[in-house]
Amino acid sequence: MNTKLFKYSVIAILIGLFTNTNCIAQDNEAKDFKMLYKFNTTKLADNSRLLQVSFIAQHKKDRKNKVPVYEAEINFYNTSNEEDILLGTVKTDKEGFARLTLPADQTYLTDVEGYINFKAEFKKTKAIKRYKKSIAVKDLILDLNLEEIDSIKTVMVKAYILDSLNTKLPVEEADAIFSVRGMINNMPIETATIEDGEYEFEFQTNIPGDVNGIIDVFVSIEDHDDFGNVIQQKSVNWGISKEQFKEDSNTLWSEAAPIWMYIVLTILLGGVWIKYIYVIKNLFKIRSIGKELEIKQESETEK
Amino acid sequence: MENNKDKKDGTNRRKFLKLGLLSSVTAVAGTSIVSSLADDTEEKKSSGEKVRLLTPDGQMVEVDADSINKYPHAHVNNEESRKGIPNKKFVMVIDLARCKNARKCVEGCQKGHQLDYNEEFMKVQLIQDNEEASPYWLPKPCFHCDEPPCVTVCPTGATFKRDDNIVLVDNDRCIGCKFCITSCPYSARTFNWGHKEKFDNKDIPYSPETSIPAAEGTVMKCDFCPDLLRQGKLPYCADSCPMGVIYFGDKNEDIVTNGEDTVRFSELIKERGGYRHLEHLGTKPNVYYLPAVDRQFPLERGFNVDEDIIERYKDVPYVQDLKKKGKI
Amino acid sequence: MDLENRKRELVKEFSPLLLKTSKVSKIWMIGLVAIILVGLYAFILQFVKGHIVTGMRDNVVWGVYIINFIFFVCLSYSGAFIGGILHFFKTPWKNSVARIVEIITVLSLIIGPIFILLCIGRLDRLHYLFMYPRIQSPITWDIIAIMTDLIGCFIYLYLTFIPDFAILRDNSTDMPKWRQKTYKFLALNYQDTVAQRESLHKLTRTMSTLIIALAIVAYSVLAWIFSLTLQPGWNSSIFAPYFIIAGLYSGAAVIIIAMYLIRKYFKLEHYIRKVHFIGTGVVLLIMSMLYGYFTFSEYFSRWFSHKIHDINLLDTLFTRYFWEFVLANYIGILVPMAILFFKKLRTIKTITIAAVIAVLGLWLNRYLIVVPTLETPYLPIQDTREEFIHYSATWVEWSLSFAGVAAFILFFMLLMKLVPIIPMSGIIDHEREQNGKPKKRKI
Repeated sequence: MNTKLFKYSVIAILIGLFTNTNCIAQDNEAKDFKMLYKFNTTKLADNSRLLQVSFIAQHKKDRKNKVPVYEAEINFYNTSNEEDILLGTVKTDKEGFARLTLPADQTYLTDVEGYINFKAEFKKTKAIKRYKKSIAVKDLILDLNLEEIDSIKTVMVKAYILDSLNTKLPVEEADAIFSVRGMINNMPIETATIEDGEYEFEFQTNIPGDVNGIIDVFVSIEDHDDFGNVIQQKSVNWGISKEQFKEDSNTLWSEAAPIWMYIVLTILLGGVWIKYIYVIKNLFKIRSIGKELEIKQESETEK
Repeated sequence: MENNKDKKDGTNRRKFLKLGLLSSVTAVAGTSIVSSLADDTEEKKSSGEKVRLLTPDGQMVEVDADSINKYPHAHVNNEESRKGIPNKKFVMVIDLARCKNARKCVEGCQKGHQLDYNEEFMKVQLIQDNEEASPYWLPKPCFHCDEPPCVTVCPTGATFKRDDNIVLVDNDRCIGCKFCITSCPYSARTFNWGHKEKFDNKDIPYSPETSIPAAEGTVMKCDFCPDLLRQGKLPYCADSCPMGVIYFGDKNEDIVTNGEDTVRFSELIKERGGYRHLEHLGTKPNVYYLPAVDRQFPLERGFNVDEDIIERYKDVPYVQDLKKKGKI
Repeated sequence: MDLENRKRELVKEFSPLLLKTSKVSKIWMIGLVAIILVGLYAFILQFVKGHIVTGMRDNVVWGVYIINFIFFVCLSYSGAFIGGILHFFKTPWKNSVARIVEIITVLSLIIGPIFILLCIGRLDRLHYLFMYPRIQSPITWDIIAIMTDLIGCFIYLYLTFIPDFAILRDNSTDMPKWRQKTYKFLALNYQDTVAQRESLHKLTRTMSTLIIALAIVAYSVLAWIFSLTLQPGWNSSIFAPYFIIAGLYSGAAVIIIAMYLIRKYFKLEHYIRKVHFIGTGVVLLIMSMLYGYFTFSEYFSRWFSHKIHDINLLDTLFTRYFWEFVLANYIGILVPMAILFFKKLRTIKTITIAAVIAVLGLWLNRYLIVVPTLETPYLPIQDTREEFIHYSATWVEWSLSFAGVAAFILFFMLLMKLVPIIPMSGIIDHEREQNGKPKKRKI
C-alpha cells in the first residue's frame, strides 16, 4: 500500500513539474541576473551638463541575455564633505537609462582640489540591492575656433579650467576627436592630443557640408579621468560648392515624358481618330441619301 | 476490543492521510499542467512589439515598445511621399570583404517591414563569377537606380523615383501588371500573390515610406526605410548587421556610416575600389560594392545556417564541390 | 430587275445558314458554353483568392495569360493585314475568305485583351490606367494601340456588312420580326444607289489601308513590351518584325482551319474551293519561310556570340524545354513548309494539317519567348521552392485558356447566324464585273 502511494505521488509530482513550462521560466528572476550599473557625465556644447546612469541586468549564465531595468528611481547628488545636495530624481526609461540634464548656470560645490563630486544612487528594494556610484570631474572649458589664417583654414581649440581666482589653467593632456556633422552619425576628421591646453590643425578643404555649404565641427573628449565627457561645437561656412545635381525632368523615368513622345503620340492618334470621325460622318451621309430616296419612292407610289 | 478499535482508528487515520496526500499531489500536478496550458494560450494571443524589462521589485514584465515612427508628422501620405527628403541623395555601400552570411540584415528587414519568412526585400546570394574565382556572399537590396527601368515601364506611375534617390512603390496605385518585376535586371522586386491576414491590419495608416501594411496583388521591394531616415537612424539592414557590412549615407554630404565607422563616401569608393553591379546595363545603381579582398572571414563560416538556406545555393560550383567532399 | 432576282436567290440560298441550327451546331454550342462556364468559375476563383491559384510566382511573373494575349492579338493583326491586302489587290478569289478573315480579326482583338486583364493583380483599379497614364510606358502604348485598332477593325467590318444587311432587309419577309428590324436598323438606308455604292467603296478602301498601317504599329508596340527591357532573350532589335511575321504566319494558319471547318460543316463547298486553300496555303508557305528565317537569325546570333546570359538561356531551352523547342521551331516550320512546297502534296486536307501544326508550333514559340527568359535572370534565382524556380501552369490557367478559345469559336458561330459568311454583295459585285456592267474603276 505504502509503496503504491509513494510511487503514485512521485509520478504525479514529476508529471506536474515537467509539464509545467513555467518551471523553465522560473529561471528569469532578479536573483539570476547580475546588475550592470554605470554612471557618467557629459558637458555639452551649450555648457549644460548631462548626468547619465545605465542600469541593465545581465543574466549570469547567458551573457547575451540583457534586460534593462525599468522605472528604477535614481537619485543624483552633488556631494561634498559637508552635505549631499540632491540635484534630481529620474526614473530609468525602457532602455535602462536615467538622464538628468543640469542647465549651464547651475552652481556646484567643489572640493579642495577643484573637483565636482557627483553621486548616483539606487535605493535598495526587495529584489535588488543598493547601487551607488560616484564620479569626480573638473569643469573643463573648451574653446573651439575656426578661422582662416593666411588663407589656410585652421581649427583651433583651447582647453582650460578656471580656478578659484578665475585664472585660466591650461589642461596638460587630453585626447580629443574632431568630427563634422553627418546625417546619421558624425564623421571624425582628426584625432588629437591636446597638450598644454592648445591644439590646432588644418581643415581639409573638400568637405561638402550641407546644402548651404555650412559645416558643423565638433570636438569631443571622451571618458577622461578628470573631466568625464566634454563636447563642443561650432559652425563654419567652409563647405565646397558642390555642383548642383541637375534635376532630371522629361526623361523616361520622370513624371513628365520627353516632349517628342507627346508630339508623336498626338500626331498619330489625331490622324487616326480624325479618319474614324470622317468615316462615321460619311456613313451618316449614306444613310441620309438612302432616306431621301425612300421618301421620294414613297411619295411616287402614293401618287 | 480496544485493539480492534485502535487498529480501526489507525486504519482510518492512514486512510485519511493517504487521501489527503493523494488529493494534494493531484492538485499540485493538475494546477501546474493547467497553468502551463493557460500560459501557452496567453503567449499565442499576445501580439505587437514588446520589450522585456525588469522592474525594481524584481519582476520580469513585457511592455509595449515605443512606436518606431514617433517623429513629428509621422505619417507621410502618398502625395508627400513622392517628394523626397530635401537636399539628400541617399547611397549605400556594401563591404563584401566583411560579409559572412549572418543574415541578420535579412531578418532585421523582415521584422521591420512585417514580412514572412520567405519574403525578402534584402536577399543574400552566393555568387561565383567563374570556376577559378572565389565565391562571395552578396547582400542584394533594391539598388534604387538613377535610371530605373522599373519606373519607366510602370503604366500608372505607381512606382516613382524621388529627388533623394529613393525609388518607392505606392501600393494604393499599383494595379499589379508586374511589368516592373520583369523589367528589373537585378530581380529586386516581389509580388503579393494572395491575401494574407497582415494586410487587414488597419492600425498603422499606409505610407509608401514604410511599406506597411502591404496590399494583395501589388508589388513590394526594399525602400531604404525613409521613415527611419527621417529620424536620423540607419535602415534596418545596416543597423542589424553585426559585422558592419552595410554603410549608408548621403552623397551630398559625402559621408556614409555603418553605425560604428563613419567615413567619406568618395574616399571609401576610391580606396577600396568600389563598383556597381552590372554597370554596363546603364541603370546607374545607387548601391556600391567593395570587392571581397582581404576577407575578414573564410567562406565556410557562412554555411552555418539552416539546411533549406544552404539548399538555395546548390547550383554554385563551390557548393557542389563542398557537398562532394562531404563538408556540408 | 435581274439584280433583284439575283439578290432574292442569294438570300434564299443563305437563309438556312442564318435561320436554322443543325444538331451538330447545337451540340457544339452547348459544349462551348460548358467550357466557358468552367472558365468563368476559374476566373471567379482567381478573383477571390488572388493570383496564388495560378502557377506564376516571383520570378516567372508572366505565364499562360500573356502568351494567349500575344497569340490572339497576333491573329488579329494578321487578319487585318491579309484582309487589307486581299481587298487592295482585288484577288479573284478573295470574296469567299474576306469575311472570315475580317471576323477573325475583330474577334481575336476582343478575346486577346481579356487575357491581359486576367494577368492584372488588381482588377478593381483598372481605371487607374486611364486616370494616371504614363506615356513612357509600353503598356500605355499597347492599350492605346489595341483600342484604336479594335475600333478601326470594327468599323471596317461593319462597312463590309452594310450591303449584305441591305440585301437581307429587302428580302427578309419570311424571317422573324426581330431580324427584320435589326437588318433595317443596321443597313443604314443603303439602297445600293450608285452614289451610295461609290461612297461605301471609297470608305472601305481607305479603311483597309489604314488598318494595315494600324496593324503594323500596334503589333510593333506589343513586341516592344518585351524588346525594350534589358532581359536576355528579350532585348533584341528584330522583335517587332519577328512578331509581325509570326502573326501573319499564325493568322494564315487559323484562316485555313476556319475555312476548312466552315466548308465542312456548313456545306459551302461551292464557295470555298481548293483554289482558296492553295492561295492561303501559298501565303502560309511564304510566311513559314520568313518566320523560319527570323527565328534562325534570333537564335543563331545568340549562339554564335555566346554571351554568358544568352548561353544560360539557350541551355534552358535545350535542356528543360527541348521537346517544346523542337516542336515549335523545327517541326512547326519545316513540316508545313514541306507540305506546301510540293504541288503534289497540296490537298485540302494536308493543307489544313499543315495549318494545325503551324498554329501549335507558334503557340509553343510564344511560350518559349516568354517563360525561359524569366527563368534565367541576370542574377541567378537562388530559391528552394520549386514553383519559384520553374513555371508550370495550373488548371485555372489552362481552363481560362480553353474558355478563351471556346468563346472565340462561339462568337464566330453566333456572328455567322447574323450575316452570311460568304458576302452576298461580294458575289453580286463579282458577277457584275464579269458581265461587263459599267462601273467606275477603283483607283
